[in-house]
Amino acid sequence: MAKRIVLVERPPLNTCTGCRICELACSFRHDKTFNPEKSRVRVVRTEYGISYPIICHQCSKPPCVEACPTHAITKSREGGLVSIDESLCVGCGLCVERCPFGAIILHPNKNVAIKCDLCGGDPSCVRSCPERVLALADVNIVAQRTRTTWVESKSSGGG
Amino acid sequence: MTLKYSAYTGRYLRVDLTRGEIKEVETEEWRARSYLGGNGFGTKVLWDEVPKGIDPFSPENRLVFSTGPLTGTIWPTAGRLEVIGKSPLTGIYGDANCGGHFAPELKFAGYDMIIFHGRSKRPVYLWVEDGRAELRDASHLWGKGTWETEKIIRKEHGDERIKVASIGPAGENLVRFAGVITSGRAAARSGLGAVMGSKNLKCVAARGELDVEVADDEFFDYAYEIQQQILSNEYTPSTSRYGTPGLVNPMNEISRFPTKNFQRGDFPYANEISGEVLEKKFLARRVGCFACPINCGRAAIVREGPFKGTYTEGIEYETINSLGARTWNRDMASIIKGDLLCDDYGLDSISTGGVIAFAMECFERGIISEKNTGGMKLEWGDPQVVLELIEKIVKREGIGDVLAEGVARAAKRFGKGAEYYAMHIKGMEMSAQDPRSQQSYILAHVTSTRGADHLKGFPCIDETGYVDAAIKRYGEQYLPEIVDGLSTKYKPMVVKDGEELGAVTDSAIVCKFGTHFPPAYYWPELARGISLATGMQLDVAELKRIGERIYNLQRCFNAREGMGRKDDVQPKRIMVESGTGRASGHTAGPLLEPMLDEYYELRQWDKKTGWPTRAKLEELGLKDVADELDKLSRSKRARK
Repeated sequence: MAKRIVLVERPPLNTCTGCRICELACSFRHDKTFNPEKSRVRVVRTEYGISYPIICHQCSKPPCVEACPTHAITKSREGGLVSIDESLCVGCGLCVERCPFGAIILHPNKNVAIKCDLCGGDPSCVRSCPERVLALADVNIVAQRTRTTWVESKSSGGG
Repeated sequence: MTLKYSAYTGRYLRVDLTRGEIKEVETEEWRARSYLGGNGFGTKVLWDEVPKGIDPFSPENRLVFSTGPLTGTIWPTAGRLEVIGKSPLTGIYGDANCGGHFAPELKFAGYDMIIFHGRSKRPVYLWVEDGRAELRDASHLWGKGTWETEKIIRKEHGDERIKVASIGPAGENLVRFAGVITSGRAAARSGLGAVMGSKNLKCVAARGELDVEVADDEFFDYAYEIQQQILSNEYTPSTSRYGTPGLVNPMNEISRFPTKNFQRGDFPYANEISGEVLEKKFLARRVGCFACPINCGRAAIVREGPFKGTYTEGIEYETINSLGARTWNRDMASIIKGDLLCDDYGLDSISTGGVIAFAMECFERGIISEKNTGGMKLEWGDPQVVLELIEKIVKREGIGDVLAEGVARAAKRFGKGAEYYAMHIKGMEMSAQDPRSQQSYILAHVTSTRGADHLKGFPCIDETGYVDAAIKRYGEQYLPEIVDGLSTKYKPMVVKDGEELGAVTDSAIVCKFGTHFPPAYYWPELARGISLATGMQLDVAELKRIGERIYNLQRCFNAREGMGRKDDVQPKRIMVESGTGRASGHTAGPLLEPMLDEYYELRQWDKKTGWPTRAKLEELGLKDVADELDKLSRSKRARK
């Protein structure tokens, strides 16, 4: 199974607080500048202070791939990474419209679609997250951990 | 020529509200090099442009919103905003600082700073977007709370990413301790929200997609290194978990927790309003400021009782003290409600609690009675009284109209010895550090350039004794006194250092969480970080000189307004009444003068006047300032 960036929270500590360090790390990694508008990860913060980082899930059946008229977006067979060939992208924004999460954005200067490319395997956002709630992981492994944590919480106190 | 330093936008705005004109100016090299940003920028504007003796509510007053070179970058905690102006509460230099997300947005929108002057005929707001700015009508926003103002602006522009810094009804009604609020974060000390109100300026709304670029790519890795340094500091995890409310119990234990208007330094019910209670019963979630790895913000929600459903973003230690212990109020839900009211109406919660506690004490002592209060019984510890007084202050209704002037003016109005119970320095209500239990604060409160203040000197080293940091920062030779809260030894050195470090953090702009407490990084790291960001090649000595220059210029602004050593005093009560607990038998009296002597000497200020000497000012490149002060004292002598 392919790896993607996932959110793993353990409240009350280790929660997404909306500090947006991931956005800054992402924009610097890709564009050598600090500009959240150039970030592939976007932290949404609601009126009541709930924060959640939105980032590409590297879908198994990516709507963006289907939407792209120039075949600029492809999903790799082995790693599962959904990537954009900027030289083929015409900046029509159809993928942006179709992504159910809003995880694809048109770059404000280059006017091509941009999305999480996992930084070649060492994601800048994961490294920078001070709450350590972002992880590069296989979702099924995450599920395994969640199962274990849940079971342990049920049996606590039983010795 | 555009600015040669990176990390700045290289432009700022001058907004003439009288004429409705906006001018874009290039950020000058000398300004960046000598004053860095934020606090330094604002200080320089005030000295240059605010004439001696003007009414802070007059159109001539300046109101400065400033960012710094690190704002908008990934440097830990670099999301803060500085607001500077002549204070209507104190009549001297005033500034306020807050976190949140507004300042970086202003920078992404293209500006290092905005200087407002004049007064608009009608309510207006400034809209700033991607290197453009315009004044827009704000008639429909006037009278609205800060939360609703933000909501309306976002809706009107159809963009939820817009960040807003606004005033509420308190600022509009010229409450002298009104603040500027951005999403529940308050730049509220000094009453600059009222200056904004006097200018008919409701808010600044910003949205930007522009880059913030640094000089050296190494900045990115270095910022990460500092982030790790902060996260691995032994005091960071508790700050992250409990936020500033986590200080309630420890500060109460050392009797540094002002209670009942400074009648005592400890509150018997502190454990009902502590950080632990907040987490257990009221925590909604932890919320972070822009680029902050500590994330001390505590969003709280009241889940039952009369205040059920009250949600507030970021209740702090200071507010818990001022609306809690200071007024003998042990009802945490009402404190959360009061915090929301202060944020929404745009009040400084520190001064608000201070003025309410003062009124309660005056009532207790018979200085005022139900005749003055419109029949209200101002009983200690009654949460309803606290909340009702907040409403009256904001609306300037009855007794609220007097209290809206702050404790110093209210005391004059009440007479009958009320001044003794007015806990203020230079007109600013005291924050929650009872100096009788931490002697460094005797000095730090009185040498703060904006009046009573915990954040200028911010001497943490002797609070509960941070030995490791003390050794690292000052050297082993100063132990054990330097970490002893009840000793005055070496504290002038600590306070001076904290003030200059603070002037730099407030100019860079970063949070004092990291530099002052937890003491995770210091001058060398800041010098390197700012250098990598800007390309300035600053060493520690030069950065210290910038801090010293800024602080001296603030002092000179106050000197020009007639302040000097005579004004560097603590309120009489804590000079003569002893503290409680560990501060039993200790007052803030006898030790103040010797500490001041030593402090002035370290600063090379005149011991008699408390003014910076010509030699010091010239050393800091402030010859013109020295000339002006000389002229002033010559004309003063001539008048005599």
